[in-house]
Amino acid sequence: MEISQSEFLHLYYFLKLTRALEERVTTLYRQGRIVGGAYTSHGMEAISVGYASALQADDIIAPFHRDMGAFLVRGITPGEVLAQYLGKRTGPTKGKDGNVHMGDLKRGIIAFVSHLADNLPVATGVALAFKLRGESRIVATNTGDGGTSRGDFHEALNFASVRRLPVVFFCNNNQYAYSTPLHYQMAIKDVVERAKAYAIPGEIVDGNDVASVYLTAQRAFQRARDGGGPTFIECKTMRMHGHSEHDSAKYVPRELLEEWKKKDPILNAERRMKELGYAGEPEFQEIHMRVEREIETAVEFAEQSPLPEGSEALEGVFAANPVEVLI
Amino acid sequence: MATDIVMPQLGESIAEGTIVKWLVPLGAQVKKDDSLLEVETDKVALDIPSPATGALTEILIQEGETVPVGTLLARLDYHSESGNGDSATSTIQSPVSSGHGHLTISGSPDLLSPAVRDLAAKHQVDLSRITGTGMNGRITKKDILEFLDKQGLAGKESGDSLMGQPASVTPSLEEELIPLSSMRRTIAERMVKSRQTAAHVVTFFEADFTTVEPTRQELHLTYLPFVIKAVTQGIHAFPILNSSWSNKGLILKHSVHIGVAVAVEEGLLVPVVKHADQKDLRQLGQEVADLSQRARSKQLQPEEVQGGTFTITNHGGTGSLFSTPIINQPQIAILGVGAVLRRAVVVNESIEIRPMAYLSLAFDHRVIDGATADQFMLMVKSVLEQPSWEVTS
Amino acid sequence: MTTSAIAHEVTYLEAISQALDEEMSQDERVFLMGEDIGPYGGAFRVTEGFQDKYGEWRVLDTPLAESGIVGAAIGAAMMGLRPVVEMQFADFISCAFDQITEMAAKNHYRWGAEVPLVIRAPFGGGTHGGPFHSVCPEAWFFHTPGLKLVAPSTAYDAKGLLKAAIRDHNPVIYFEHKFLYRRVKEVLPAEDYIVPIGEAEIKRTGSEISVITYGAMVHVALEAAEALDQEGIDMEVVDLRTLSPLDTDTVKDSVRKTGKVIILHEDTKTGGIGGEIAAILAEECFNALDAPIMRIAAPDIPVPYSPPLEDFFLPKAHDVITAARQLAAY
Repeated sequence: MEISQSEFLHLYYFLKLTRALEERVTTLYRQGRIVGGAYTSHGMEAISVGYASALQADDIIAPFHRDMGAFLVRGITPGEVLAQYLGKRTGPTKGKDGNVHMGDLKRGIIAFVSHLADNLPVATGVALAFKLRGESRIVATNTGDGGTSRGDFHEALNFASVRRLPVVFFCNNNQYAYSTPLHYQMAIKDVVERAKAYAIPGEIVDGNDVASVYLTAQRAFQRARDGGGPTFIECKTMRMHGHSEHDSAKYVPRELLEEWKKKDPILNAERRMKELGYAGEPEFQEIHMRVEREIETAVEFAEQSPLPEGSEALEGVFAANPVEVLI
Repeated sequence: MATDIVMPQLGESIAEGTIVKWLVPLGAQVKKDDSLLEVETDKVALDIPSPATGALTEILIQEGETVPVGTLLARLDYHSESGNGDSATSTIQSPVSSGHGHLTISGSPDLLSPAVRDLAAKHQVDLSRITGTGMNGRITKKDILEFLDKQGLAGKESGDSLMGQPASVTPSLEEELIPLSSMRRTIAERMVKSRQTAAHVVTFFEADFTTVEPTRQELHLTYLPFVIKAVTQGIHAFPILNSSWSNKGLILKHSVHIGVAVAVEEGLLVPVVKHADQKDLRQLGQEVADLSQRARSKQLQPEEVQGGTFTITNHGGTGSLFSTPIINQPQIAILGVGAVLRRAVVVNESIEIRPMAYLSLAFDHRVIDGATADQFMLMVKSVLEQPSWEVTS
Repeated sequence: MTTSAIAHEVTYLEAISQALDEEMSQDERVFLMGEDIGPYGGAFRVTEGFQDKYGEWRVLDTPLAESGIVGAAIGAAMMGLRPVVEMQFADFISCAFDQITEMAAKNHYRWGAEVPLVIRAPFGGGTHGGPFHSVCPEAWFFHTPGLKLVAPSTAYDAKGLLKAAIRDHNPVIYFEHKFLYRRVKEVLPAEDYIVPIGEAEIKRTGSEISVITYGAMVHVALEAAEALDQEGIDMEVVDLRTLSPLDTDTVKDSVRKTGKVIILHEDTKTGGIGGEIAAILAEECFNALDAPIMRIAAPDIPVPYSPPLEDFFLPKAHDVITAARQLAAY
């Protein structure tokens, strides 16, 4: 199975958009215009862009904080993301939460909480709902290598497997959970080993190759849609920035970063597209300019958006119960 | 020795169990830990092992019956084998209190709870007039409410505003502030309240005490017992005088309790002669004397100043001729008796000297009209002027 | 001619089953998840026969993984279903703490996602369950904005509150008291009804002392009130029924009437709900107080197992009577 030109151009556009948006986040952070923390997926964009692009419109994602690409593919705009970062009323959480903590059920996105792997059991519940209602929808969820140490990860994989739920678990294995390297996170070399214990088929994919992620995800999603149950996909990659933008990540050997720099997902994609004859420098440049313009518009939108009033903090703790009439 | 077999607790939420079957017949021997009976609950059906070796001497609960956990089911007689077989009863009673919730703050007369402070402020109550019934003499919320209730003031205007006085006054050098006694305040509040409550009208009559005089002297009485007698007979003729007003209607009292105003050092007290209509002159005389004496020496019991249905004020005792007395609420009338003085009066077209007194009836025009009041007074007057008084009347 | 069914008494436990059954049959979105709730019918037999009636997927036996179960229920709820999760014992809810407090409670506030989830939590002692089968964990969640907490004391309330919880658009933890399962019963209305969340009920009207309580302690308070009635002490018993959001109006009205208050709960004293109620009364009803606010609660220890120890632990009618006498004399 090969990827079409239009599919690849779509993937490339979102890789570039994600990169540009997060670079702007980094800039705004360093300028002190972002009040809270800033977390990026720099160098890991292929994973989120790849799997999210393989989903259908009514599928659901339950992502984590290295999944900016998935948010964008599902329709969150760069303007909304920056408004969220700036604490503006126009962000998806209206200022209630920050950075990548956002969701919108209309666009099929479940917001994650900082307690990583919490979204995995939630994803199994989403899949359970689809199964109970006999729908052919599926859910994709993602967490980092660190998150796979949590009990919720294991509880979710176990439950999903026992009930053959239509859920695909991704793992962004970027070698570090904050400062903790993989070998102190787990005694196994590949995270995918964990899936074996739950009789879940596992795959390892080059997380810096957007086409591989996309195609692997497509296969797993189809299997889930066909009633084949969950798949676990380990995406090998490298975290190129610190845990968050305040973290210089000096604990990461420079040589390692230099090595992975050569495998940058955008460079990879450009190389491959050239090989396939799908696009060349002019097209790349055109997309680059388009993305830059979009980011400028987004910054303008976010900065001009109003901040919430303090008392808006009191709103929305509970959902209002509509008056239900029993027939 | 005997041991009790009780319905065991077979699960955390189980409250009762049903005996399915006794596996050992009455009187038969059973070994310790061998199955004795079969029990079923909402959760389980189980064989219950015997707590001891012995004979099943008594079955109290039959098969098919459902009983609460802990119910005595049967008794087992056994011979103690090693002296430690008697711990079989599975119910363990604990009389131990968990010891929660002990009050560590004690009361004192000075300790005013927020509720008491709030009520006292709202109703401008002088707390020195209230005797606390709480812990160590603390004034309780109930004390205040009962006090206000007695005053009829709860939820209404404050006593001070009733008296039309500013809340605080600073006397000048030419003046002296005499603190209000509790009795003074009560009288003030009650008088003002009565004036504001009832539609006072006063009607005056004159009575000739000539025929009273011989009996009075014979029995060594004051005029008051005769007046009480006349009033009670007036009430029998016009019972409405013995009533009180309420928003729902008139409350007609079947007992006649006559209050008698007595001047005391600090003010005024109104002890009550209970069932005055059922007492003769001598009894009335003794009771009035006793109540007056004890009123002055502050020995009246609370119930002796409560429950009056009609009041007589003997203002003539101090030389007054007539007065316009204020009704003692919630009664509807009060009779004032002026001084009995020898006056020249026209009798049978000639002038005679007779012991005369003016009688003033202040009545509540909401309840009765002038005609009724006057008919009542004519009755009182005619009783007083009856040709001859019986000593036993 | 109509034949009216013979009204029979329904236990607290049967009332819970009835509520689940009725809601499941009239709303196909409602489904159950939990450990051993399927063929076994649940540890307390609340869902006995349910799987035969509603099938394996609507009465879903789960792995032993409370966090995973609650997380999955949250996901299903966000997709429009109405999951009712059974904690086998409320004690085990600690394993799901994170999903409840971080995910379920915060979702609507953060990004507007409704989580119409019910977690049934069989709680409380008096059944010799020991430290891990007896706790009253409501205070942990009482402190968490975004959760609704209910704790019925009667069969009527048990049924009505569960139905209200299932129909609510928010996460509701339904604290069902194990001690009451088969000990309280009453005839229930034949027609559909709910007990609205957020409304306390005066279970006994009185004029002198208010007892604010909930769960099994309502019965302890009522027992004490009857005994005190013989002594001429007139006690009012306020059953909170909903712990969050609290019906502070009913509580304050009662205390404004009586001026004296005992707050009674089975949970341990420090950091319990009683402290919050006491604070509310001190802040908002200070002028109504005619005596110190009293709390009666379990001592600050884990729930012990042995009957004398557990007896000592649990507040009793005797404690309420003693406290009420002190307040009456105060």
